[in-house]
Amino acid sequence: MFERTKNLRLSVIKQMELRASRFPDVISLAQGVPSFDTPECIKRRVELALKNGVVAKYSLSPGLSELRELIETKLAEDGMFYDFEKEIIVTAGSIEGITATLFAITNPGDEVIIPEPTYTSYREVILLAGCQPVFVSLDEEKGWAFELEKYEAAITEKTKAIFYCNPNNPTGTIYSKEQLMGLAKLAEKHNLYLISDEVYKDFIFDSGEKIFSLAQLPELRKRVIRLFSFSKSFAMTGWRVAYLHADESIAREILKVHDSLVTCAPVISQYAAMGALEMGDKDIEFFNHEYKKRRDLICCRLDKLSHVFSYVKPTSAYYVFPRILKNDFDFGELKDCPDSLSWRFAIGILERAQVATVPGVAFGPGGEGHIRMSFGRSEKDINRAFDRMEKIFGT
Amino acid sequence: MKLIFKPILKYYLKLIAKLVLVIYRPKIIVVAGSVNKTFVRDEIRRALEKAGKSVRANPRNFNTEIGLPLAILNISSGYGSYREWRPVIGKAFRAIWQKNYPDYLVLELGVSSAGDMRYLLSIVAPEISVVTDITQRYLESFPSMNDLVAEYIYLAKKTKKNGAVILNGDNLRVKELTKKAIAPVQYFGETCEKEDDWRIVGIERTGVGQVVEIRHKEKTETFDVPRFGRHHAFALAAALAVDTIINK
Repeated sequence: MFERTKNLRLSVIKQMELRASRFPDVISLAQGVPSFDTPECIKRRVELALKNGVVAKYSLSPGLSELRELIETKLAEDGMFYDFEKEIIVTAGSIEGITATLFAITNPGDEVIIPEPTYTSYREVILLAGCQPVFVSLDEEKGWAFELEKYEAAITEKTKAIFYCNPNNPTGTIYSKEQLMGLAKLAEKHNLYLISDEVYKDFIFDSGEKIFSLAQLPELRKRVIRLFSFSKSFAMTGWRVAYLHADESIAREILKVHDSLVTCAPVISQYAAMGALEMGDKDIEFFNHEYKKRRDLICCRLDKLSHVFSYVKPTSAYYVFPRILKNDFDFGELKDCPDSLSWRFAIGILERAQVATVPGVAFGPGGEGHIRMSFGRSEKDINRAFDRMEKIFGT
Repeated sequence: MKLIFKPILKYYLKLIAKLVLVIYRPKIIVVAGSVNKTFVRDEIRRALEKAGKSVRANPRNFNTEIGLPLAILNISSGYGSYREWRPVIGKAFRAIWQKNYPDYLVLELGVSSAGDMRYLLSIVAPEISVVTDITQRYLESFPSMNDLVAEYIYLAKKTKKNGAVILNGDNLRVKELTKKAIAPVQYFGETCEKEDDWRIVGIERTGVGQVVEIRHKEKTETFDVPRFGRHHAFALAAALAVDTIINK
């Protein structure tokens, strides 16, 4: 019974949210949810679609052609050239796109390499596809960078793909062009796919430059599957809409899985996505500005707790992933607490300070000894959370 | 508030846009159709720029009753925010005194409900009109396909007599617009047969895009298109037609 699901686990983030829900005054820095509501321009686009009566029926499986055409235009602005008719698929959130991709490009028993720490659900989807996740740790000392020799060492004849998130969740760091080119060389050498999840690409705090994507390189077309979600950039996590693009030869196989999983992405959300692409640029700018302020605030508050945490300053996304400097904090007896520092610490501050975070081990073995804090929450919440932690740890 | 503000804004922008067109007298090329408008528009703009013309196209999706005047005035939108619209209103007025107004405007026209084309053509009078395709997209806002086609018939009728109407010859509904056009008509597409047509005779995918072969007047030319998808071959063919008419 339950052979396929027995090794899956409910996301640790959700587990922490469940635990946190027992504390009425909890401040959650756990879930990666923007504090903002979906921008008005997007809602108005949806209102218009509702008024016109165009949301009740299925769309074509790859999505509304007008949305895909818009996506093609947007991709071209970023130097990525894909055919909206055959190479772009609108999905029900990026996780559905990831699932469809893995089912299409892998066979049971294949291995998929994941740089870690990284987003928790990747492991589950890889297992669900009957494959084996192979974690390769990032180098915290070098700002959570790839160490290419470790990837080369991890590649076996069963390896099918390298799957990374850029900018990375939970570290909030961006892989440089040089690092990505190194991965690309490995992929060429060993005939691997590269799955690039770029849901945080619009949040860039310091450089002001757009991130480099391997999907910009025509010579890698037949290797790269790139995903983008509307959830974070446009505060649309509940709408469940994203897209992926890949060379026609790959996209047509992914489309078969996508069609059998969801038929099509929710049509109302596809109209919302159109509104986002047509009119949402200013909102992205605003969100980026706000997250930068929050990033600066959370780093400032972390600096005051330098006897508790050290951290790599995030340059993107809305997460910081501090290392816990000591393992002898006395949180008293913690019920149902797994035997790991990051779990004990996360549950400890939840129970003592009513501040929810995510234990770092959830993001892969290399995340142990860390916690993830989201600064997607308001400045007020960040300040309240740190005021509470300072009461426990002192400054 | 919205009920009052939008019609006033619409009228104000239309008035200023018309005034600007009267003052600067650019030649207007419009691109309409259910799909592929943006790529055709951009391809025409590129072709004219390459030929050394001073040209501007509507940015992004500025192709509706509010967007088109903004495109003509070359100013940004306030979208749904009254606060954002305030400076736009001032900018629109100042746009009457523009420096270096282009000689050519390539304007995409968006038609999503009955009467849209009539309104848009009350602002611009096209010298050349391109109809990319007519499909069921946006059909939901029309009682029938005939009503949707009627929008494009109106465009064919309103294109200046000494200009040109350029039609996707692969789509029968689009081809039928010929009967209503008063300007000379040219076709582009894969199934066109006449010597004057812009026939796509080959599309070959390469690692970096496509090689497109287009035949016109017994001469076949090959073009490297750094994009993927048939629609870019159609865009190129339409742009070549426009470019040839303008540069003849």
